[in-house]
Amino acid sequence: MKPRGARLDDATSATRTRPYYVPVGNEEHVFQAAFRQGLSIVLKGPTGCGKTRFVEAMAYDLERPLITVACHDDLTTADLVGRFLLRGGETEWVDGPLTRAVREGAICYLDEVVEARQDTTVVIHPLADHRRQLPIERLGTTLEAAPGFCLVVSYNPGYQSVLKDLKDSTRQRMVAIEFGFPPADVEETIVAHEAGIDPKRAADLVRLAQAIRRLERAGLREVASTRTLIAAGRLMAEGLSPREAAHAAIAGPLADDANVTSGLVAMIDAYLADTTA
Amino acid sequence: MSSAAGEVPGRFGLLASALSGRALEVVSGAPGEPAWTDGARVFVDANTSKCDQLEALAVQASLLAAGSLEPDIARSLSRRPTLARRYLAIEGHRALAANAELLPLPLRSLVDWGVAARGDSPAASLALARSRESIPDPPNRFGVIRARHLLASSERRDGSATAPDRVARARLDHARVELELEEEDDGAAVDFSSPVGGSGALGRLLQRMLTSVRSRDGGGPPGVGAALQRTRAGTRRGSPAFSTANAGALEDAAADARGTRYPEWDVHRRHYRADWCTVHEVGARPGSGAPRRATDARRLRRSLARLGTGLDSCHRQVQGDDIDIDAAIEARVDAMAGSMPDEAVYIASLRRRRDLAVMLLLDISGSVAEPGATTATVHEQQREASAALMVALHDLGDRVALYAFHSQGRSAVHLVPVKRFDDALDDVVMRRLHGLVPGAYSRLGAAIRHGAAVLEERGATSRRLLVVLSDGLAYDHGYERAYGAADARRALAEARRRGTACLCLSLGASTDAESLRRVFGSAAHAAIPRLEELRHEIGPLFRSALRAAEVRRR
Repeated sequence: MKPRGARLDDATSATRTRPYYVPVGNEEHVFQAAFRQGLSIVLKGPTGCGKTRFVEAMAYDLERPLITVACHDDLTTADLVGRFLLRGGETEWVDGPLTRAVREGAICYLDEVVEARQDTTVVIHPLADHRRQLPIERLGTTLEAAPGFCLVVSYNPGYQSVLKDLKDSTRQRMVAIEFGFPPADVEETIVAHEAGIDPKRAADLVRLAQAIRRLERAGLREVASTRTLIAAGRLMAEGLSPREAAHAAIAGPLADDANVTSGLVAMIDAYLADTTA
Repeated sequence: MSSAAGEVPGRFGLLASALSGRALEVVSGAPGEPAWTDGARVFVDANTSKCDQLEALAVQASLLAAGSLEPDIARSLSRRPTLARRYLAIEGHRALAANAELLPLPLRSLVDWGVAARGDSPAASLALARSRESIPDPPNRFGVIRARHLLASSERRDGSATAPDRVARARLDHARVELELEEEDDGAAVDFSSPVGGSGALGRLLQRMLTSVRSRDGGGPPGVGAALQRTRAGTRRGSPAFSTANAGALEDAAADARGTRYPEWDVHRRHYRADWCTVHEVGARPGSGAPRRATDARRLRRSLARLGTGLDSCHRQVQGDDIDIDAAIEARVDAMAGSMPDEAVYIASLRRRRDLAVMLLLDISGSVAEPGATTATVHEQQREASAALMVALHDLGDRVALYAFHSQGRSAVHLVPVKRFDDALDDVVMRRLHGLVPGAYSRLGAAIRHGAAVLEERGATSRRLLVVLSDGLAYDHGYERAYGAADARRALAEARRRGTACLCLSLGASTDAESLRRVFGSAAHAAIPRLEELRHEIGPLFRSALRAAEVRRR
């Protein structure tokens, strides 16, 4: 039986080259300093701006395995810490992803931590402060975190500014790194590199995104992220015209409302050419 | 405005908003007329080519973005069409150049960089325009600056002290033809420097618009029209329609006749006025005609399904967090005895149990009868929303009640039970809902106190949610805005301290959503321009309110 819900991936075992990440400010220095000091880190920023990629790159630089858990609102403490299973006539303890990271000294990345149940997030408290311990209630033991263990959580404060309820007690155990969308020239480089398209077409996409991002207050719930731009760019690399690609990768995902979609399509048509050249 | 052509420029609204950095609509102007803006909308001629429309709105939106049309500039341009033209010829290029990073590539060719470099601010461009230098007329596609419309709309916004005022805007639409007729004689002096009004035809029109939107800014006792509404409220007295499942009916009836008394917070003296407000529950008169079923309920249900469920420990599950010892022992015994053991030996904590009571409070004061952004009045939109919420929550198995409220002074705060917690959700409830007639004023604090009291007494669940549907801050006799806001905030704090989650929805033309947002807190208020958007907002809103209440309850 697998632990319910938690998604695990060992990034380091698969990754040979450094995951592509372009620093925008001092975030790499802050992360490395916090890592060396054994502090926990919270990454704040809108969806698709590079939080996950940043952690992957950091794990590569620091030569630690990375264990990612995508949090959802049915994630229980047992999903993180571990549980007893029955095998034959015996009970058998199976570590959860968090316990594994604590034992191995890995970087444990809890993605979108506000989505998790609040009774779940409190298990990270003793890990996140100076104690660096994980009490395992069911085993009656307390694990000391191995050197190299680092807890990283991410959350998106922009969700309507309504779900801004990471508990203060959790929040204050963390060092925060704020993410935003990168400046236009950096974003052009990123889109061109990730999608494999020429810089001029990447620049067109970025200009479109800059315009869409100004709409945040005008009724659009989410704006075009770097991730959607890369998706559009990859469609273009496959031979779709910029407009077709942007309709599929930007207008479609951003809105369901017919009016908003047609407004976005009008914007795309104004910014992008409809030829494949 | 021909409606068929009007749809064409509308889709550029997002682009215009992006370029101007503010919410901007694009509507079709009179055929053959150059493009212009009033600060909230750009009028373009729908009969021109798409390219011309784009260029025109790029110029107008950039002017707004660059601050070229601020009131002090517009004031010096009003009634001086030649100066406005010269100003546009210079400032148009400057604004486009300032916005060039955002402009789509084809539109960048509009910029004359030579002209753009001549000034570095609207004021500099204005000085140039005033000089004797010869300046070529701006190209036709630049459109025109209509200073007085800009002033009118900015004064309208300041005057009503709210964000984009949709009601007034909707009215402006009707009035626009009239305005344009009057505008033709440009020489006619209309004094616009005085706030809201002046003596001109436009001023009168503005005044009419402003006063009809809502006359509650004064803070004085709302007087006019009270007599009329009082008769309406009077017909509603003491109907015998509230026999509930309650056993102590006699006692209840007596209490109802006297009403329930609630204190009110006096912010000026900083103490409670004990037993200040009297709340009566008055039976609703069912409306005539077949009620429509709530249309949006099914989609709402999906957003709400995961809310308000309690954690249950479920035994004998195939997977779970802990081992169910009894089941495990049985399985072991079965295995030793040679029969096939049951593998479901875990305890899972699952969210299954519905554990939520919701009180919907519907504002039916006179103000909600105003027409909203669309054709429906705010009341109709709120009614649809509350019906949809009620049906969705009821279908999910939550306990739900719907009370409407309005008031006529502190001794006559009326709450109309449309559906009590123990009532079945049937056509009678729907007819009662559709029979509600908005009128009189509202005393939000007393309504919240009574709603919360009923919710705590009859809700019978550990999670409680109070939802107010209102279009703006209340006022009543001796209940002016600041006082009312403080009292409502106090009432919310009382309810929240007892673990009841509170939030507020403003539907349609919420002229006053901002003050409600301040009362409820930004996390517990949502302004929902159209009913269809309710289902997107409602999930996170309910969830965060319930979470906040849960934290307090512990």
